[in-house]
Amino acid sequence: MKSISAFMQKYGVVVAFVLLFLIAALRQPDIFLKAENLRNLLNQNAPIGIVAIGMTLVIIAGGIDLSVGSIFALAACIGLLALNKLIAGGSSEVTASLLAVAVMVGVGGLLGAFNGVMVVFGRVAPFVATLVGLVAYRSMCLAIAEGGEIRSSSPDFFPSLGSGGVPIPGLTVGVKGDPLVITWGVFLFIAIALLAGFLLNHTRFGRYTIAVGANERAARYSAVATGRTKFYTYTLAGIFAGCAAVALSTRLNSVASSTYGLYYELDAIAAVVIGGTSLRGGSGRIWGTVVGVLLLGIITNILVLEGVSIYWQGVVKGAIILAAVLMQRGRDQ
Amino acid sequence: MPRLEVRDVSMQFPAVLALDAVSLSFESGEVHGIIGENGAGKSTLMKILAGLQTPTAGEILGPDGQTLHLRSVGDALRAGIAMIHQELNLVDTLTVAENIFLGREPTSFGRLDRAQMRDRASQFLGQVGAGFSPNAMVGELSIAGKQLVEIAKALSYEASVLIMDEPTAVLSERETASLFQLIRELKGKGVTVLYISHRLAEVEEICDRVTVLRDGKVVGAVRQGEANQTEMAGMMVGRPMEDMFPEKAVVPDATPALSVQGIGDGRFVKGIDLEVRPGEIVGLAGLLGSGRTELAEMIVGARSRASGTVLRDGKPVACGSPKQAANAGIAYVSEDRKESGLVLSMSVVENTTLANIDSYCRPLVNRQKERAAAEEWKQKLDIRAHDMSAPILYLSGGNQQKVAVAKWLELNPKVLILDEPTRGVDVGAKRELYLLINRLAQDGLACLVISSELPELLGLCHRILVMRHGKIAGEVQGDSMTEEAVMVMAAGVEAA
Repeated sequence: MKSISAFMQKYGVVVAFVLLFLIAALRQPDIFLKAENLRNLLNQNAPIGIVAIGMTLVIIAGGIDLSVGSIFALAACIGLLALNKLIAGGSSEVTASLLAVAVMVGVGGLLGAFNGVMVVFGRVAPFVATLVGLVAYRSMCLAIAEGGEIRSSSPDFFPSLGSGGVPIPGLTVGVKGDPLVITWGVFLFIAIALLAGFLLNHTRFGRYTIAVGANERAARYSAVATGRTKFYTYTLAGIFAGCAAVALSTRLNSVASSTYGLYYELDAIAAVVIGGTSLRGGSGRIWGTVVGVLLLGIITNILVLEGVSIYWQGVVKGAIILAAVLMQRGRDQ
Repeated sequence: MPRLEVRDVSMQFPAVLALDAVSLSFESGEVHGIIGENGAGKSTLMKILAGLQTPTAGEILGPDGQTLHLRSVGDALRAGIAMIHQELNLVDTLTVAENIFLGREPTSFGRLDRAQMRDRASQFLGQVGAGFSPNAMVGELSIAGKQLVEIAKALSYEASVLIMDEPTAVLSERETASLFQLIRELKGKGVTVLYISHRLAEVEEICDRVTVLRDGKVVGAVRQGEANQTEMAGMMVGRPMEDMFPEKAVVPDATPALSVQGIGDGRFVKGIDLEVRPGEIVGLAGLLGSGRTELAEMIVGARSRASGTVLRDGKPVACGSPKQAANAGIAYVSEDRKESGLVLSMSVVENTTLANIDSYCRPLVNRQKERAAAEEWKQKLDIRAHDMSAPILYLSGGNQQKVAVAKWLELNPKVLILDEPTRGVDVGAKRELYLLINRLAQDGLACLVISSELPELLGLCHRILVMRHGKIAGEVQGDSMTEEAVMVMAAGVEAA
C-alpha cells in the first residue's frame, strides 16, 4: 500500500499519460493512432513544451514567470519585423531568416534577463515583476501589429524551418504522399529538454537552483550566489520563450498579435505542476514537465476527436489537471 | 487516582520502534520532567498525548480510569490535554485575542463578538501574568510573549494537563525565571505540567519528578533531589558521563587569524573590536538580543554593516557576502539549522558539498567524488547516517550539526564561527561536538563560539567576551571565568 502511493507520487504523471493514451487509442483507434495525428501532437506541443521547460527551472528556484507567453509573442513580432525589414532592404532570404531567428532568441533572453534584474536587484516579488511583462509585452506586441497579424515576407526559407525536419521512412501524409516529417521544432524541444535536464542534474547551476528554491537563506549562508542563480533561471526562461517563438512562427510564417502565446504561462505552469514539480520550489524534474505537456496535448487532441465543444474543453482540462495533481500528492502532509 | 496514565504504550514506525511498552502516570499539580536523548521517544510520547499520533499498542487512561481515545488534537483538548509546541503555532497577523479563540470565535447572531472575545482573552492573559493587551498583534510580541499567548490559549480550553516542549529554548534567563514562576502558580491550581527539556539544570530546578527515556523505554524515574544533573545525563546516555569537556590546549602566540575593528550598524551592533588567534576558542556570551548573532552575521557579510574592517592574518579582507567571507577563509555555522544552516530537503551528501561545490565541478558535478568526500567527513566526524543520499531532514540534531560543520570544513577555513552549535542537540552529541571543536582548534583553526549556555562556554573556551546592547561589556579569562562574572557583565548589574 505504502509502496503503491510512493510509486504514484513519483510516476503518477506517467500512469495518467498512459491511461489517457489508451483511452484515446481505444475510442478513436482509426484517427488517434494514425502516424499523422501523433506527429501533429508533437509538432503542435513543441512550442508550449519549450516554454514550460524554462518555467520548470524558474519554479524550482522558487520563482514564477507569468510573462513567458507575452515574451514569446513579442519576440516573434520583433523577429518577423526584422525579417521583413531585412528582405525589403535587399538581404537574401536565408540571411534574413537566420538573423530573425537570432533576434527572437535574443529578445527573449533580454526580456528574461530584465525579469531577473527586477526580481534579484529590484527585489520585486516574482509574481508582480513578471506580471508587468505579461501585461506590457502583450500590449507592445498589439501596438506593433496594430492588433492584427504580421506576415513574414519570406516565401520559402523561413517557413521551411518550421515545416522541414527529418522524414520518417515509409510513412506518408495526404493524398500526394508527402513523407511524414518530424519537424525541427520537435527536435528543438527535445534538445532543450535534454539541456535543461543536464543543467539541473549535472552542473553547479542546477545544484544551486534546487538549493535556492528549497531554502534561499541557507543557500546564501552557504556561500551560494543566490541572486545570480535566480537571474540565470529567468534569463533561461526568456531565451527558451524566444526559441519557442522561433518554433511556432516558422511553422505559421506569421504572428497574430492578440492570440499568439495567449495563456501560455498558465499552460506552462499547469504542465510543470502536473509533471510533479512543487510550486513551492526546491524540487522538480524536467522529464515530468515534458510528460505534463504531452498529457495536456493528448487531452486537447481527444476532446477535439470526440467532438467536444471548444467551449467545454477547458472544464475537462481543468478536471484532469486536478485529478493528476491529486494522484501525485502523498497521503502524508 | 492519577490525572493521566499511560499504560504499555508502544509506537511502531516502519523502521523503528519509537516507544516500547511505556507505562507512566502523571498526578494533578505535578511538574513532570521527561528527558532523553534525541530519538529516545520523548516527542513521540508527547505527540500521542496531544492527539497528533495514535499509538500502535497500549492505552491512555483519564482521571477516573476511563480509556481515552486521543485520535485528534480536538480529542486531546476535550480530555483537557494541551501541548505548547517548540515552534509556536500562532498567526502573527491576528491579535492576541483572535489567536486565543481561533477556530471557535464567540459570535452573536452570526457576527463575531469582539467584545466578548477581548474580555475573555483578558481574563486568561491575567492568569498567565501577561503584560500586553488582547488587542496587540501577535507578530509584535517577543517570543516569550507569544509563549504566554499559547499558554493562555491552552488555559482557555480548560486544559489541566499542559505539555511543554523545550519551552525555554528561545527564552532569556529572565524570561525563563518568569515562566518558572507561572509554572509554579499553575501547579498550585492543580495543573499537571509535562516538561520536556534538554537543559538538565532547569529540569532539576522545576520538576517534581523526572522520567528518563532511552531507546523508547523508561530507564529511570527520580524525584526532585534524588539525582543530580550528571547522574541524569548518565541515565540518558546509558553510561556514566565522563567529564563533558576536553582539556583546553595552550594557544600558540601568533598573529590573530581574525581581527575585527569597529564593526557595527549603529543599531544592533555598536562598534566592536575583537581578535581570535589560531588555535584559540573564544566565547561570545550575552543575553538574547545583545547582538551576538548580528555581530557574527556582520563579520561574514550576511548582514550589512555601516562601519568596520575585518582582517585575516592582519590583512584587511572584503567580507560583503558569506561567499566573500568563505573565500577569505571565514566560515559561519549559523544559529538556526532549519532556517539558515541546511537545506533540509537536500541529501546529506549535497549539504556537505554545498559551499564547496566548485571543487567537484569540472565543469560537471562529479557525484562519485562528491560522495567520497561526504563519506570521508562521515568517518572523521562520526556522522551517523544510514543513507547519505536521503534528505538530511531525517538525521538527528547532533548529526545535522556535524554536517553543517563539515560543509564549512570542506572549504578548509582558518576561522570558524559557531552560533549556538549545540542547540537542540542531546547530551551525548554535545560532548562529541565539544571534542570536535577542541580538536579543530588544536589543528590551528581560530574558533569563535556563540552560546546561551554558560557552562558550555566556560568549559570550552579560552576566554569569553560578553556582549550587552550591541557592545562588548567585558571579557573574562583564566580564574575570572565564572558564571557569576559573565552574568554580571551580561545583565549590566553589579554583584550585590
